[in-house]
Amino acid sequence: MNALEVRGLVKHYPGVKALDGVDLVVRPHEVLGLAGENGAGKSTLLKALVGLVAPDKGQILVRGEPVKLRNVVDAADHGIGMVFQEQSLVPNLTAAENIVLGSEGAAVRRGVYRWDTMRRLAQEQLDKIGSNIDPLARTDTLTFAERQMVEIAKVLRIEERSQHPPVIILDEPTSVLESKEIETLFAQIRRLREFASVVFVSHRLDEVLDVCDRVTVLRGGRSVGEVATAGAVPRELHRMMIGSTGSDDHYHGNAATPVVSEQPRLSVRGLSGRSFQDVDLDVAAGEILAIVGVHGSGREDVCRALFGAEPTTAGEIRMDGAKIELPSTRAACAAGIGYVPAERKVEGMVGSMSVAENMTLAKQKARCTGPFVAPRKQATLVDRWIRRLSIRTPRRDTAIGRLSGGNQQKVVLARWLVGGDVRLLLLDHPTRGLDIGARSEVYRLMRELASSGVATVLLADSLEEAIGMADRILVMSDGRVTAEVACPNGGKPSPLDLVKEMV
Amino acid sequence: MSTSVAIKPPVEPAVGKERTRLTGFMPLIALAALIAALTIADPDFLTQRSLTAAARTAAPLIVLAAGATLVVLCGGIDLSIAALASLSTVFLALWIPDLGGLATPAVILVAAVIGVLQGAAHVLLRIPSFIVTLGGMSILSAVALVVSGAGTVRVVDDSTVKWLDLYVGGYVPMSVMVAVIVVALIAVLLKVTPLQSWVSATGYSESAARLAGTPVDLVKIGAFAVSGACAGLAAVMLVSRQFSGGPTMADNLLLPAVAAIVVGGTAITGGHGSVWRSLAGALVVTLLRVGLPIVGVPSAYEQILYGAIIVVAVALTLDKSKVSIIK
Ligand SMILES: Nc1ncnc2c1ncn2[C@@H]1O[C@H](COP(=O)(O)OP(=O)(O)OP(=O)(O)O)[C@@H](O)[C@H]1O
Ligand SMILES: [Mg+2]
Repeated sequence: MNALEVRGLVKHYPGVKALDGVDLVVRPHEVLGLAGENGAGKSTLLKALVGLVAPDKGQILVRGEPVKLRNVVDAADHGIGMVFQEQSLVPNLTAAENIVLGSEGAAVRRGVYRWDTMRRLAQEQLDKIGSNIDPLARTDTLTFAERQMVEIAKVLRIEERSQHPPVIILDEPTSVLESKEIETLFAQIRRLREFASVVFVSHRLDEVLDVCDRVTVLRGGRSVGEVATAGAVPRELHRMMIGSTGSDDHYHGNAATPVVSEQPRLSVRGLSGRSFQDVDLDVAAGEILAIVGVHGSGREDVCRALFGAEPTTAGEIRMDGAKIELPSTRAACAAGIGYVPAERKVEGMVGSMSVAENMTLAKQKARCTGPFVAPRKQATLVDRWIRRLSIRTPRRDTAIGRLSGGNQQKVVLARWLVGGDVRLLLLDHPTRGLDIGARSEVYRLMRELASSGVATVLLADSLEEAIGMADRILVMSDGRVTAEVACPNGGKPSPLDLVKEMV
Repeated sequence: MSTSVAIKPPVEPAVGKERTRLTGFMPLIALAALIAALTIADPDFLTQRSLTAAARTAAPLIVLAAGATLVVLCGGIDLSIAALASLSTVFLALWIPDLGGLATPAVILVAAVIGVLQGAAHVLLRIPSFIVTLGGMSILSAVALVVSGAGTVRVVDDSTVKWLDLYVGGYVPMSVMVAVIVVALIAVLLKVTPLQSWVSATGYSESAARLAGTPVDLVKIGAFAVSGACAGLAAVMLVSRQFSGGPTMADNLLLPAVAAIVVGGTAITGGHGSVWRSLAGALVVTLLRVGLPIVGVPSAYEQILYGAIIVVAVALTLDKSKVSIIK
């Protein structure tokens, strides 16, 4: 019997049909992949499975029985649990407290925590996934990957609520992890398969094919096909996702223009701050410079410092030869610097505000005549960029929080382009959470900007992305620049070459 | 292995206006419902006399609430408005003999400067606005007591502020006109300039606003300045009615002002809301205060009814789709 089955699920949002009669089958002890473009309805479907979204029509069957899931507790009672993308742990509690939180059971007696029991309960959960995290460690001292393990351990407690093998849902768990951490997670998922079913979502198709037994493809809120992963190739999956063959040249290498640098656009000497020391770097106009490094390399903070969002203790920054001070983000904006933060949902956009407002937030001048907002001018401007970047939004005044991830990211990127005066773009994981198509469009846009003379600093999502996009790569570790690798078109290094430089 | 299904083309980037939701009118609906209820309870309530009286009482509250709304929209709170208004009544009463007509702008300016000081303390020292203005409230009250000699300061020649207590066309109190104009000015200023975007972005998500280059600190200090200036103006209205200033004269307006803001549906967590909503909220609060006794609710029940209606009104007016976390 199927562990979980979905029949003809429909969910409308104002202006969009997020789910349009989707079908899905999850078998016992399998890892099911869910693939689809941004906005295909993956998250909506998964949220319906844990009672966070109430479907308009359709059925959810758990082991053959139709069920109605009103909330997360309902879902847990049926053995369905989800690891949330926006981490849902309380940072100042211990791992053990977080694991039992919400279903304390024997860990609380007469309203008082019994630490021994709690520790034992938590340890049991951690043992299930073979993790050696200390249950008494404070959550905020754990790494991102460790916290994700704690989340998985927490979700596994649903086993105690139903006698059946649980279904564990992971929505884009790898997008914020590094390759080593991803390996650990995958080992975990394979282990989970022994006693549970897993639903896994990722935009990296090689990952999906690697860890899943079977993949269901969603498109426009429907299931459009199914692939057994044994022997399948990413291209085939991609073709099903978009309904046509994608372009071959993912990174648009042929659109890359050679860099002619007389004087660097950005020139940094001896920049030091809390987590980086003595950083030198140059970026020429039209050049894409990637910085690679593991957690703690300090590259994120260097990026923020270049945008005036992180204090520096020493160093000199020059733009087109002129020395500049960056005491605030506002100063950086005025100097023609743009920044796309990695945490799109919290830092990149204001979810409750409209697409138009988000797009013009940084470059108010572009929508104003004198000191006043000119509604016509704004409408024309915003519509032009919506069309240019093919942003899929019902309206320009739709709240940006309602768009799919890829479309949100395009709006955030457009924010720096509407002014037409950006000289340096700092992109911190600009393709995080984007589907292949959207990623490819972002790459194309980066090429276009580069050929129009914009200098770019890229913190790439993967080594492949860094190699594919960059003209030059800097390696950082422990807050210092340790190597520089030329990366011209036609003479690209291999990921292995880079890894050698990184150790 | 694969099935193919014809799919519709993607949604075109349609262009136009999002349909205005009913929730936008909720504060007005709540106001109308309240007036209707009071009229049913006592048909004599809906006379020009009692409405005029209610409006006159409402004027200082409207101004106070409108100013503080800006701070709330930025995600903060200003608890010092009532104490600042009290202090301003004292200043005004003391300064009128010397400055005459100039006393009014002088008081408003000083109140604005006090607002700026509090805003700067909040922003530069990174102290929560709740704490800064709680301290401010205490300090300003003490200063008012000292400056006034702990007593009422009479205004003998009130010719320079009397105009506020006149009636336009015989019915509409001048102070109400001024209050509505102030609300309209703030609303229009926000709407036609980037300020609206800046204020909302700051209130919804300060870090996102900052990373988009929004002058977050200036916006916040500006909000406190307006809040202060509005407290000063409210003080002028109070003096024009009572022919005196007093160190605790406006102190009992703090909770009604906060109530007015939330009853209007402005989210106390910041971002979502407007000064128009606070205008409606201030009218609701005042009507409850003035209206319940008029229609003959026994005073013992008055507080209960007042509290219950405020809570229900907030449940009606707060647009939950715009506010993700309700604290
Ligand atoms: N709360 C909401 N209100 C309105 N529309 C929504 C809401 N949530 C999702 N949508 C819309 O429903 C569609 C499906 O969104 P969903 O988040 O399920 O896509 P997804 O497949 O998870 O995309 P991604 O890969 O970007 O995460 C999108 O067009 C999105 O704009
Ligand atoms: Mg999703």
